[in-house]
Amino acid sequence: MTENVITMAGVTKVYEQWQRSGRTGDIWRNILRPERRIVAALDDISFSVAKGEFVAYAGPNGAGKSTTMKLLAGMLRPNEGTVSVLALSPQKDRVALMKRVGVLFGNRSELWWDHPIASSFEWKRVVWGIPQDRFQHTRDMVVEMLDIGGLMKTFARELSLGQRMRADLALMLLHDPEVILLDEPTLGLDVVAKRQMIEFLKQLNRRKGTTVLVTSHDMDDLEEMAQRIMLISDGKLAFDGSFADLRKQTGNVCRITLTADSSAHQSELGRLVSSGTGIYEYEVNTAETSMQDVLGKIATLTGVTDIEIRRAPIEQIIAGLYSEWRNGSDCAK
Amino acid sequence: MRKVLELYAMYARLDLAWFLKDTKICLMAITADFISNIAAVTGIFLLAYRFDGVGGMDKYEVLFMLGYVTAITGIVQAFFNFNVCHISRRIGRGQLEHMLIQPLPLWVQLLTEGFIPFSGTSNLLSGFIVMIIAVRSLAYAVTPIWLLHLALHLLISTIIVLSLNYLFSSLAFYAPSQAEEISTYVRNSSHNLSTYPLSGMSLAVQIPLLSVFPAGLMGWFPSLALLSEAPLGLPPLYPILVAFLLVLLAARVFSRGYGHYLTSGSPRYSAVGHRR
Repeated sequence: MTENVITMAGVTKVYEQWQRSGRTGDIWRNILRPERRIVAALDDISFSVAKGEFVAYAGPNGAGKSTTMKLLAGMLRPNEGTVSVLALSPQKDRVALMKRVGVLFGNRSELWWDHPIASSFEWKRVVWGIPQDRFQHTRDMVVEMLDIGGLMKTFARELSLGQRMRADLALMLLHDPEVILLDEPTLGLDVVAKRQMIEFLKQLNRRKGTTVLVTSHDMDDLEEMAQRIMLISDGKLAFDGSFADLRKQTGNVCRITLTADSSAHQSELGRLVSSGTGIYEYEVNTAETSMQDVLGKIATLTGVTDIEIRRAPIEQIIAGLYSEWRNGSDCAK
Repeated sequence: MRKVLELYAMYARLDLAWFLKDTKICLMAITADFISNIAAVTGIFLLAYRFDGVGGMDKYEVLFMLGYVTAITGIVQAFFNFNVCHISRRIGRGQLEHMLIQPLPLWVQLLTEGFIPFSGTSNLLSGFIVMIIAVRSLAYAVTPIWLLHLALHLLISTIIVLSLNYLFSSLAFYAPSQAEEISTYVRNSSHNLSTYPLSGMSLAVQIPLLSVFPAGLMGWFPSLALLSEAPLGLPPLYPILVAFLLVLLAARVFSRGYGHYLTSGSPRYSAVGHRR
């Protein structure tokens, strides 16, 4: 039986927001009868993550991703429900849990700003009480895997964002955590730095079996990294499954690009997404029209010099879903 | 306890590395700090010198009190730096979350994280030098027991300073933006009040400053208790009682605020001042 290392059962997290009209005339009303708005960041969420899984946790802005991460890291208490990580309660067993869990928020750094990276590593060794031999071994491994050997004597404030993120990731891994929680780890990184980060996380998950829960707005990154995706919308779990299932659910849309003369423009392959200088891009839902039919139609066209068929970017699929959810919730209101 | 000492040693090493990074500039900064600390207490001493004492306090007793106040500031600076004393800044900026991901109880982190024994000792040094000058001028016979009393009073006064700061800083749990700097205002006002000799002032001034807002226990009361006799007929160790009550109150209010923080979360985050 697969062992679950992260479990959330019936978790609800509610925030209160003070409302202000901003009008001077409302001063007394704001003092005597302030208006409050209750926002359900998470609404009866339940899920579990098995040991060794690499799970993407996504959703539109304000959907509750960071709230979930903070609940799992013991930075927040749920209003209802139970949270468990490695069979420990993040709220009650914070100290014991933090020895076994790694937490990284993309927009925050744990590095000592005015010290070389090596000093931050030493700080981590003492605070986490990592035995010297284990520390040396893990340090050598992460330094090599993240290619930061040349940065060890550099002050954190002198690093580029990509270097800083790699150093922060290395720092987070020094105590060899069994579970890592990453909130937007690729935020602001350029293409090269992002690739290094993704490759490293995949390697870590494969080689060491570390359980990873990661949030990001970059869906293509998530699809490349994770085996499973959980989508939340308005505090509710809207989808939980593989990326392939997600594509199926949204109709297995694919993109066909034809390089041809103008006759291709009149074809009825699917929805024409873009056209220009003899290149036509169509969107085809293979759940509605089989690929065989599509290829048959292309075969009847004259003047086609090149064909490219690819899956629709996951980014586009999810954007469609977000917009569907938004419209749905607007209708509900 | 072993862990606490290990952490103190590590933070001392980090501070030394920071100090040695640019020793010349660092020494210049410490010297400037030293001169400004002496200058800050000179005004009151000159008044005491001109009028040969204040409200029954000898001019050198006033000088001792000023040295004591400076030493307290020095202890806070050397042991609770880096926004540990000014905890409202960490709370208000959402930086407490950095502490929550460390596998250490919060109190251990607060006790050790602000230790900067090399770059933060200018106030402590100037305070001790001023106290030594005052004691020599008073021709006071210093005994080991008296030194122990001095150490105890310094400890109690430091606890009072920190408790007061943590008590008011707890407001930042509820109003992070508005109360982010509250600790600075509390510390500045308590420090400024503590440099005035309260001898000769009315009870209406003395009693509140020995109880409700105990700035009098950060310099005036302990100095008199150490050099002659405790004022208002109170027992010399009266500050222990106030410190005890203040610690209880601050701990209660702070832990309630912390509970609110865990329930409501931090609506803002700023990296300003996080990590040196």
